[in-house]
Amino acid sequence: MTQTSEAIRDAYRPVRPGILQTLRDTASEIATRRRLILYLVRADLKKRGADTVLGNVWWILDPLLTMLVYVLLISIILRTDIPAYPLFVFCAILPWKWFSSSVADAVTCITTRERIIKQVNFPKVVLPMAAATGGVASFAFGLIPLFAMLVLLYRDHLTVWVVALPAVALVQFVFSLAVALLAAAITVFYRDVGNVAGHVLRIWFYLSPALYGADQIARLTADQPAIGVIYHLNPFATLFEAYRDLIYDGHAPDWLAVGLVLLASLGLLLVATLVFRRLEPAFAKVI
Amino acid sequence: MADAIDVQTLGVRYNLRLTRKNTVRESFKNLARRREGPGHFWALRDVSFRVPPGESLAVIGPNGAGKSTLLQVLAGILMPDEGAIEVNGRISSLLTLGAGFDAELSGRDNILLAGAFMGIAHADMLARMPGIIEFADLGQFIDAPIKTYSSGMNARLGFSIATAVEPDVLLLDEVLGTGDATFRAKSQARVVELMRAARAIVLVTHDMSWAREFCNHAILLEGGNVVAAGEPGDVVLVHEERSEVRRAGGHPERLPPVVDPGLLTAAGIPGSAGGGAAAG
Repeated sequence: MTQTSEAIRDAYRPVRPGILQTLRDTASEIATRRRLILYLVRADLKKRGADTVLGNVWWILDPLLTMLVYVLLISIILRTDIPAYPLFVFCAILPWKWFSSSVADAVTCITTRERIIKQVNFPKVVLPMAAATGGVASFAFGLIPLFAMLVLLYRDHLTVWVVALPAVALVQFVFSLAVALLAAAITVFYRDVGNVAGHVLRIWFYLSPALYGADQIARLTADQPAIGVIYHLNPFATLFEAYRDLIYDGHAPDWLAVGLVLLASLGLLLVATLVFRRLEPAFAKVI
Repeated sequence: MADAIDVQTLGVRYNLRLTRKNTVRESFKNLARRREGPGHFWALRDVSFRVPPGESLAVIGPNGAGKSTLLQVLAGILMPDEGAIEVNGRISSLLTLGAGFDAELSGRDNILLAGAFMGIAHADMLARMPGIIEFADLGQFIDAPIKTYSSGMNARLGFSIATAVEPDVLLLDEVLGTGDATFRAKSQARVVELMRAARAIVLVTHDMSWAREFCNHAILLEGGNVVAAGEPGDVVLVHEERSEVRRAGGHPERLPPVVDPGLLTAAGIPGSAGGGAAAG
């Protein structure tokens, strides 16, 4: 009997699809489940606005209040000489809110959907996809106070270059999605990621040129080339500068640097997709 | 006609080192312990059976026998680590009640969300919405967030959604005793109706009268193996005898796995089954 069943087992041994097939499957799953992604994003937005008095107004107030905190700290207490500091810092807060909320959602997106994962078979990739997309809404809402500031307070900073914002945002989206996929998959196996993520995000923000500009640390990076290399490896060093070029300085960003970030992000997205798909079958067993 | 479900030497393995309480610290410990004993166990092994269209299969067995794992594999939630399964047609599963619902959203939104999770076209789901709402009979609560629902209401909504999509293959896990007497009668009628419509059903139950009354076939799972297969009446009898021994504090004699119960027509009662030839 054991011999027979051994023979049958060999005949039915499951096979794992190749890299190209995996990518093709993932793309078609996202395409066919785009409505599910939409529902998940909308449910998330509804929930965040539902329990508060001001509802969705918080989406506009939130980046403004964050900005006020930094303006108070850096501009008034530490007396920086950066002109139009509120606008300067807002250029970084806006994309960062998007990124950090995407990552924070991604970390928990699989583990909090434990029950449905054990009940229905669906492509799990929609969950980090929705987490990364949900952040776009916070970015879009944040554009309202941004343009209000530009028109009302800093009209001399407003140039036609703001129309190029979606191009930089697209690069950020690719990077966010890659990080979201990795964070979601790894958290299933190591819950520690959830504890670490908040701290990593905070230090990441301070190490990126958000509260200060690239020229403020130019001397540091010139003296210590190693620090310069590490600094430029951070995609947000390029992205924050690019956002600032478009909004604050009103000139073309360093397209070459932005293109390199895009290439690196696409590479990371490829790796993240493969890692996610490799771990996906185990999700239902582990959570 | 192709079988609705075809399962061949299915095996599902759980890695005991990967659990939800995993931390980096524990993985280092596990790494050090790697050589000690098997790090996994088979929740299901060598499970083979086929369910032709229009048939219904009862899966019975003691707790921890692998019944729910079997349903999860059939639903495509778990991947087989060994063997193969083939399920022909649309699957709907009611594996845990009320699950998959977003507590903050209304009943109506949850119907759409559940449909999207199950991969049903939006237009299709909209068309089925009135039927689902009527069957669940939640009154004005359908527009309230489902965190305000009682567990019975949750279960009713879940049952209505799972059975409203006219699945070709319906997987049910212990959910028939849901709600009050009226809803129970209604849900029984719905299950019987689905079975008549030539659709396959796999029912995991501890209610032996359900297995006897509503299923044509039954398998008894113990320790991840099929140990008896055949007429529900016969299989239930085997199970009840063995449960009796367990209740008395004893350990019933270990039954040999039924490797190929085939189409589940022969009574695979111990002695007469096991060692069957491999089916193609």
